[in-house]
Order: sequence, then C-alpha cells, then structure tokens
Amino acid sequence: MHFKLLCQKILPLQILLVLLAFSSCEATLAPAYDQAIVGKVTESSDLAMRFFAEVDGGTTNESFAMREPIYNTLIGAFESLKLQAKARPVPNNTALEKINELLKSKGSGAISGEYPSAFAFEQIALTFKKMKETDREQGIKPLALQAFKGQIEIFLDQAITYESFLKR
Amino acid sequence: MADDVTTIITDIKNIASDILEKDVSVVRGFSERQVEAIAKQTFLIQKGVESGDIDEDLREFFLDGLEAMALNFVNTLKGILMVTLEKLWNALVSFLYKAVGIVI
Repeated sequence: MHFKLLCQKILPLQILLVLLAFSSCEATLAPAYDQAIVGKVTESSDLAMRFFAEVDGGTTNESFAMREPIYNTLIGAFESLKLQAKARPVPNNTALEKINELLKSKGSGAISGEYPSAFAFEQIALTFKKMKETDREQGIKPLALQAFKGQIEIFLDQAITYESFLKR
Repeated sequence: MADDVTTIITDIKNIASDILEKDVSVVRGFSERQVEAIAKQTFLIQKGVESGDIDEDLREFFLDGLEAMALNFVNTLKGILMVTLEKLWNALVSFLYKAVGIVI
C-alpha cells in the first residue's frame, strides 16, 4: 500500500527514463553493502535487547551506577555505527543528479548523503543518551521504559532493513 | 524476427518481474511492521502520559522521536526504491547488451 503510494509519488517510469538518458551502462544509485556494519548492528542490537530484558519493569536511580557502563557501551556502539555508515562514498553520477532534480520538482526530498541507516543509528544513540540521563536523575518508570524500547526497535528495524537490502 | 522480438519482450518482462516481486515483498513486510510499531508507540506514549510514567520533558522527547521515525520510514523506503531501480536497470542493460552481442 505505502510502496504503491511512494511509487506513484516519485514516478518510477520517469526515473527509469532519466536513467536511460543519462547512463551509459551500469548504474550505481545506492552505497555498497558493508558486512562489517551489518555484523556490528546485529551484535549491538543483541546487547541492547539483553539490556532491556535486564531492566524490564523500570529502574530506580539508586542503582544507576551499575548500569552506567552498559549505557556508555551502547551509546559508543551506535555512534560508531553512524560514522561507519556515513563514511561510505555517496554514489554521484548524472543519473542520480537528474533523479534528485525530478524528486525536487515533485516536492519530495532529494536522495542525499544522509543514509537512512546513519540517521537511525544517530537517533538510537540519542535515545540511549536520554534514557541514561533520565535513569541517573529519577529512574525510569515502566511505561517510559517501554517507550524507550519501542523507539529503539523502530529505528533498528529501519537501519537493519536498509543495510540488508544493500546486498544486491 | 517477430518471434525474436517476442522472446526479448518476454525475457525483459521476466527479468523485471523477478526483481520487483522479490523487492516488493520485502518492502511490504517492512511497511507493515513499521506502521504497526509506530501506531503502538503512539498509544504507549499516550498511556504513559496519562499514568504519569512519562513526564512533560519525556513527552516532548518521544513526540520528537515519533516525527523522526516517520520521516526516516519514508527515507528508508526511498533508499530501498533506489536499490531496486539500480538492480532493475543493471539487469536490463546487461540483458540488452548480451542480446546484441556486447559483453559488459
């Protein structure tokens, strides 16, 4: 349903025509698949989910010191993933430039160096930072904890789906 | 000649269908998971605010989070679409070049 809407919105036929007009043979429109990133996401998401299982039901700030090293590990891991994801060269060719012009003319944002996975990793790191700050100041109540977990799971799904899809 | 053209058309259709069917099924699964998860997250924030588990400061943080995840959901779909277009284009060009006897 959403895919159909997206397809209608950015007019894939026009995009293919642009490709036809501006590509000589093989085109590169997305970054390369990186097994190291996928491996590190799997490892870090496993650590994150085990941490959520440990604090299930909420936390109090008296025991924050015990959790602080895990927060630091998780924040570091996802910030490092953001850097790795952003470090890949952005495909830059005439076809992509023309597609971006077309997207802009249709009122949609251009495909840029801001990879969706890099954005998701950044948001996950920010969420863990906020969670750490809340835990240190007042502890985390059960529904707030579930909301932190939900937010991280959604961004993880976006990052993992995109990075896995790059394996073509 | 007519038979050759028909074969080429059929081959092109098959190449495109194979790629699109596989990719659309991945996109459909991702979209369904995301929409459901974002809806649940919205409900959870609402419940948390009502119960007092989520205070004013956290409420603002989670609302910003909802906006960011909706934006990135669309950007992820765009990113996936670019990969699909790339696969489609390269498969078709490779087939057409081979059909006229050029090795890429």
